[in-house]
Amino acid sequence: MKFKTSLMAVIALGVMAIAGQASAGPSCGMNTGQAATGKPIVIGGIYGNGAPGDWSSSTDSAAAYFACVNANGGINGRPIEYHVENDEWNPEAAARAAAKLVNDDKAVALVGNGSFIEMAVNAKTYADAGIMSMASACAISECFESSNIVSTNQGPLPSNLGAAQYAQEELGAKNVACIGLNIPDNGIWSCQAVIDFMTKRGGTGSMAMLNPGAPDVNSALLEAVSSGADTILMNLPAGLALAVLKAAQEQDLRDAYNWIAPTPLYDLSVPAAIGDYWNGKVYVNAELAPISVNGPDAQNWIAVLDAFGKPDDPRDTFGQAGYLSAEFFVKAALAMNPEDLDDRAKVTEAIKGIVGYRSDLMCGPYYVGDADFHMPNHAGYMVQIIDGGFKIVRDCYEFDSDYFNRHIELEKKLGLR
Amino acid sequence: MDRNLFHVTPRGWAGLGLAAFCFAVLPAVVGSYWLSILTSAACFTMAASGVAFMYARLGMVSLTQVGLMGIGGWVALRLNYAFAFPFEVNLVLAALATMICGWVLALPALRMRGLYLALVTLMAAGGLEIIFSTFQFPNGGSGFWGVKIGSADPFRGPALAPGPAAYLRYVVVMVTLGFLFIEGHRRLFPGRAWALIRRSEAAAMAAGVNVTLYKTWAFGIAGLLAGASGTLLAGSLGLLDDGTFRSPESIMIFALSVVGGAQYWLGAVVAAVLYRVLPGLLNQWGVNADLAFVIFGAGLLHAVITAPDGIAGQIWGGIGRLMSRRKGGAE
Repeated sequence: MKFKTSLMAVIALGVMAIAGQASAGPSCGMNTGQAATGKPIVIGGIYGNGAPGDWSSSTDSAAAYFACVNANGGINGRPIEYHVENDEWNPEAAARAAAKLVNDDKAVALVGNGSFIEMAVNAKTYADAGIMSMASACAISECFESSNIVSTNQGPLPSNLGAAQYAQEELGAKNVACIGLNIPDNGIWSCQAVIDFMTKRGGTGSMAMLNPGAPDVNSALLEAVSSGADTILMNLPAGLALAVLKAAQEQDLRDAYNWIAPTPLYDLSVPAAIGDYWNGKVYVNAELAPISVNGPDAQNWIAVLDAFGKPDDPRDTFGQAGYLSAEFFVKAALAMNPEDLDDRAKVTEAIKGIVGYRSDLMCGPYYVGDADFHMPNHAGYMVQIIDGGFKIVRDCYEFDSDYFNRHIELEKKLGLR
Repeated sequence: MDRNLFHVTPRGWAGLGLAAFCFAVLPAVVGSYWLSILTSAACFTMAASGVAFMYARLGMVSLTQVGLMGIGGWVALRLNYAFAFPFEVNLVLAALATMICGWVLALPALRMRGLYLALVTLMAAGGLEIIFSTFQFPNGGSGFWGVKIGSADPFRGPALAPGPAAYLRYVVVMVTLGFLFIEGHRRLFPGRAWALIRRSEAAAMAAGVNVTLYKTWAFGIAGLLAGASGTLLAGSLGLLDDGTFRSPESIMIFALSVVGGAQYWLGAVVAAVLYRVLPGLLNQWGVNADLAFVIFGAGLLHAVITAPDGIAGQIWGGIGRLMSRRKGGAE
């Protein structure tokens, strides 16, 4: 009788646990289930939304995660007040946004930034103000070569290299034409790295640049085609990359080239947008784990967006990166003395002290450290757009370039290798 | 020397008072967000003063002023990275280089008037837009274009203005000097020649005025002011982007100069406030800043239909009526 009762109790507990798990909401911060009511901690975020693209999915996901943290005890009882500004892809607006967040709103850190402009304008502002920007959708070199900016995403240079490396090793690419934006610290910087990589491996490469203000994708595509390339790399925001594919479809160029892209094309809406014509023909480098990997953080990110985000918040790599930056910030903040959370210098010190945070969304560990350059994420996945979705064709792999030598050295110094 | 050269009119005193207020009070009371907006507005005030001056003095419509700003900014950035000159030297050289570009632009445009002149200058703005977007702005690279791959090198701002508040003061001083430069010309022989040309080119020629010289002179002044304002804008940001200097911006700054009142110094200030402060205000109120374009359109209609002297004309007219009423009441 006693055994029967115990057995029933165990079964009942098991059923309750399963039921609890099935109905579990997202997991955020302290997970108390109680809303934080203390003095708010001001955190800033800057995104770029204007021609030629919307770069706001990282701040959207960070905002959703912070809302979830606030509903779950905040940072030791203190809610996060997340102030977000749009840089409009305009240097003046970018400077204004940083001035407001850093000096007027007295943010103690910036989290989730995604932009093509603001890091170039504001890197010095952040260094002078002693504030850290835990960015998420960095697209320019300043983001990775500054003392006070660190990003969970890789930026175009590693992601392009990853795509080119896969094409060279698996698709037989010998000549890659890189279509990018004519911005010296974005398109030219990252396309040149691909040309150098291909040259190092005995191949060749070229670049076709688009005017960001008035992008003529058809001309760029024709320029890429005339270069004699066998592989076309669309180093562009998703909207423009889709326009390139559309132009290529109109000319029925699909089978004449390998079509590869860095991470912006890893967006759940893309397979449907490109249609059946491109089925199995486009390969994308994903800077963070594809959703099919479905690890705990990947699931939690979706759960956070479902519960605290807007229905149209993008489910893309930059959304994942925004979520990750926010999660890492919260983890570092929770380890701090709550009284120090208004002290920007101490928050910066805590962020710079991050070493070895791990997530199933990233191939390697996340770290910051005290350096003039930061690129903790420089390994990724390769996926193929097929059957209306993405299929992983290469699991986590590191990219072959001398550019990462100093990062590897730093990782060795921090005991991460 | 003209004995009226240093005479300060009531409107002049008002301008000097506003400059003193912007120099002494504004930087001390506004936050960083508004410092950034006001600095930008001050830079565009200088550019607007140039285009308004051409329209008011000679009736010439120049739709390339923001493109000329880009030239000034480009030269200043190139000099900054090529030599160790102080900011002020770069400012003067960039302004002079842009003035020369203004002259070059003036030569084919001199035979044209009205719509045709406007179209020629607009095409020049379009050409500059393409050059900027193709070759980009110098960022520390070598060669003529000075563009390198990757991150930009640091920019040297003026030693006199190390922070945003000091920089706003610096720009206010420069803008004031720009207005005084225009006013000085207006009061000297070029002003008289321009007034004659505006009434009738034939009469001016008959009176011995070298029309080509004075028209070119005016283009040069507008270029000089645009070049200086482009340099000041580069100094505030440390870099420039081609998106700032697209040809529609030149149309916008001209249209807003008309809305503001091209005849008056206050018109250029109103134009820059509409151009930069209004979107900032809308943004702070949580309203889409693009609403400003609707307001600009309404303002332009208002100026064309009911206020040919612009908002500044209405303000001065209102003040004038108020003063005469007071005078009448006192008598």
